[in-house]
Amino acid sequence: MAREIVIYLVVHQPRRLKLPAQPIPRGARPPDIERCLFDERLNERYFRKVSQRCYWPTVRLLTELVGQGLHLAIGFSVSFLRQAERWDPALLQAFQGLVRQPQVELVGVEPYHSFLPLVDLGAFSDRMVWMRQHLAALFGRSVRVTDTTEMCMSDPIAHALSVAGFQAGLMDGREWVLGWRQPTYLYRHGRLRLFTRHYQLSDDVGYRFSDRRWPGWPLDADRYADWLTWAAGEVVVLGWDFETFGEHHAAETGIFEFLRYLVRAVQARGGRFVTPSAYLDTHPEGGYDLPLPAFASTWAGSGGMEFFLGNAAQQALFQLMLAVYHKARLTGDPALLDLALWLLQSDNLHLIQWFGRSGPEAEVSAYFTPREWWELGPNGIISEQQRVYQNFLGALEYYLPDQPPIPPDGSLPEPLAERVFG
Amino acid sequence: MDYPTALTPENTLFILLAFEGPDRYSLAGGLGTRVTELSETLARRGYPTHLIFVGDPQLPGTEERLDGRLHYHRWCQWISQYYPGGVYQGEEEKLYDFTESVPGFVAEHLAAPAIAAGRTVVVLGEEWHTAEAMCRVSDALHNAGRRGRAILFWNANNLMGFHRINWGRLAFTTTITTVSRYMKHRLWAYGVNPLVIPNGIPARLLEPVDPALVQRLRQIIGPALFLFKIGRWDPDKRWNMAVAAAAQLKALGYPVRFLVRGGVEPHEGEVLHNAQQWGLRVQTVPASGRTLSDCLAALEGAARSEADLLNLKFFLPESFLRGLYAASDAVLANSGHEPFGLVGLEVMAAGGIAFTGATGEDYAVPFENAVVLDTDDPAEIVAGVLTLRSAPALAARLRQNARQSAARFTWENVVGLLCQKLEFVGRRSGVLPPLTAAPAGHGG
Repeated sequence: MAREIVIYLVVHQPRRLKLPAQPIPRGARPPDIERCLFDERLNERYFRKVSQRCYWPTVRLLTELVGQGLHLAIGFSVSFLRQAERWDPALLQAFQGLVRQPQVELVGVEPYHSFLPLVDLGAFSDRMVWMRQHLAALFGRSVRVTDTTEMCMSDPIAHALSVAGFQAGLMDGREWVLGWRQPTYLYRHGRLRLFTRHYQLSDDVGYRFSDRRWPGWPLDADRYADWLTWAAGEVVVLGWDFETFGEHHAAETGIFEFLRYLVRAVQARGGRFVTPSAYLDTHPEGGYDLPLPAFASTWAGSGGMEFFLGNAAQQALFQLMLAVYHKARLTGDPALLDLALWLLQSDNLHLIQWFGRSGPEAEVSAYFTPREWWELGPNGIISEQQRVYQNFLGALEYYLPDQPPIPPDGSLPEPLAERVFG
Repeated sequence: MDYPTALTPENTLFILLAFEGPDRYSLAGGLGTRVTELSETLARRGYPTHLIFVGDPQLPGTEERLDGRLHYHRWCQWISQYYPGGVYQGEEEKLYDFTESVPGFVAEHLAAPAIAAGRTVVVLGEEWHTAEAMCRVSDALHNAGRRGRAILFWNANNLMGFHRINWGRLAFTTTITTVSRYMKHRLWAYGVNPLVIPNGIPARLLEPVDPALVQRLRQIIGPALFLFKIGRWDPDKRWNMAVAAAAQLKALGYPVRFLVRGGVEPHEGEVLHNAQQWGLRVQTVPASGRTLSDCLAALEGAARSEADLLNLKFFLPESFLRGLYAASDAVLANSGHEPFGLVGLEVMAAGGIAFTGATGEDYAVPFENAVVLDTDDPAEIVAGVLTLRSAPALAARLRQNARQSAARFTWENVVGLLCQKLEFVGRRSGVLPPLTAAPAGHGG
């Protein structure tokens, strides 16, 4: 029976693209390019909505629960942190207060929630080092254990994390990666130790909690605590979007009451919450060898990259991601490269998973697609999204070292006469 | 003419949306002149007025004029800084920004406080560039529960960009207007029936042209028939018809001096080639400066030549232009398609004889105040010119009537008419209170 339980929550808000795509002025400077690429008004609207429904009530509840024996790990994308700094600094302070609690461990996340690990491994490793320094400065806590983006993990990614100096990583415990192994043990790949998320138990809450068609509905804290503590193995790792609480499952579903009583229910069954680092400290030599595939696993969909790259629209967009990233690198301009990294954000692939598909995964994907975009129609969303990338590729043109300067076609045409222009 | 109106400066706010505007950067066609003069006239009448346009990126973002009654809002400046070539350079970029950002500004920052203060808000959008923005202004006001306090007019000054307009949405959210009956009929093809509110001219253009200037110009041109035409080198302006008429007059033995002022368009090459083929001697006329005396000196020098067609390659200041209008025997504003034909009206205001086309020039009545050409046959111009030459009294009457007719189209009068139309729409849509019943016994 697993007596130790790790809860990991990742806090993320995407930086949504501006659709329909805004044409970028010729020769625009990076800040003006940026305002054409991203819809900050839309982002603010969603941020404020989620903040009210999820972030504030959940952070308050967690702050209360850590005083009652809850230990947890929490990761933040810089995408979220920037939005919080801009639109709700008090919320950021509340999160900082939560992270200051000794029962809470700060976990790393790929800063822009991007697919950089699939695109440029060396740059990914460097960015993870930057992320660790950034989080240390913002939260005053060091980061030993890290997630990536969408819990992507593979042999190359694991080594990149090792090179970046992390002691452990988080990955999804999928059968196609684990084989005969159970997710309820600590593993290692090379020098990097690995926590494997128990995806069935996690998704019982993350996806299914409010699904009235699910045979397990309604799920209460006692029953779920039974499942957790009955699981064979040593440690159950639960990984959830932070937005599970109040956003994916509205308050009316009872999700907050569930979380509140889960702590007590687990303790009543002899279970114990631990942070990843605390578990590593108590198992200094622990970790079974786990071979990792070259193909990345993820916590999304059925656990492989097909969730993000499984349809033609996603494949086309991923090619555009590669194009913008590498062309931005050619410019040598850090501000442009930064914009390209934002455009690598995984959400841009996540929210078009529905294209040409149906079923529960497509429903999840469509849920994340801003409702404002649906006015464009499915094909319009795809083409306008691509146009954002193509516009950016065009804007980069003026920054390439081999390009001539912009021609000065700037003089105003002479009017024919006073008051007569045509 | 002063129309009584329920829309007073105390209870009404005007907001004008246009791509073009008063800045030199923003003047491209007649639209910039139109919105500048319309907004100024409204403000001079006392209405608080806001004009939102694609302004010069080097000028302040906002500017107050006329004792704070007229507010300029220079939009898209962050884009215009990359496009110093004028209002329509970077058009798509500006269109996106304008459409996306203007409606919220209008609804929240201009309309909301005005409505809260008890005012009726009038929003006037010009041309296809503002069509979607106008729809979104309507949507935003509707969503805020304020649509019932605003009257929205969208005006078509020409046919450009019509393929990009969602006519059903535009007609549902705004009242569509245009500048002539011809345009009204053209718009029927799009399933809409616009109100007609004509274009206007400033009252100063009705002041008599200096007779000494007219005499000087006639002296320079000499005894030849004095023809003048101004406009872009655009086939719609029927340049070839005008040049062919001049050639036919010359062939009939009437010496001709045809002054032309075109733009930079390539059609010029075809027109001047034809002129030479048809027997006209062509001369290009530059000028050393932009003043009236510079222009006169340039013309005087050129007139010493034997040229029949003088192609003016310099900016014409208003005084010189009006002098040419008044001094000419015929100003050939003979377009084949003209939504309104402001040049013809300005010719008439100067006491000139306008040869107009027969499309949007509602102000022109054949041989009452102008010569209206029904065909593209140069012989029709020839006949008109020779008729007037043989009947000086008729020509003098046309000139006199022309000025009287033009006086009906001052911005003061047009604004009065605009307010009448606004009031009609306002009452029909419930923005303004309905008309009350006649007093008992009234009208038997």
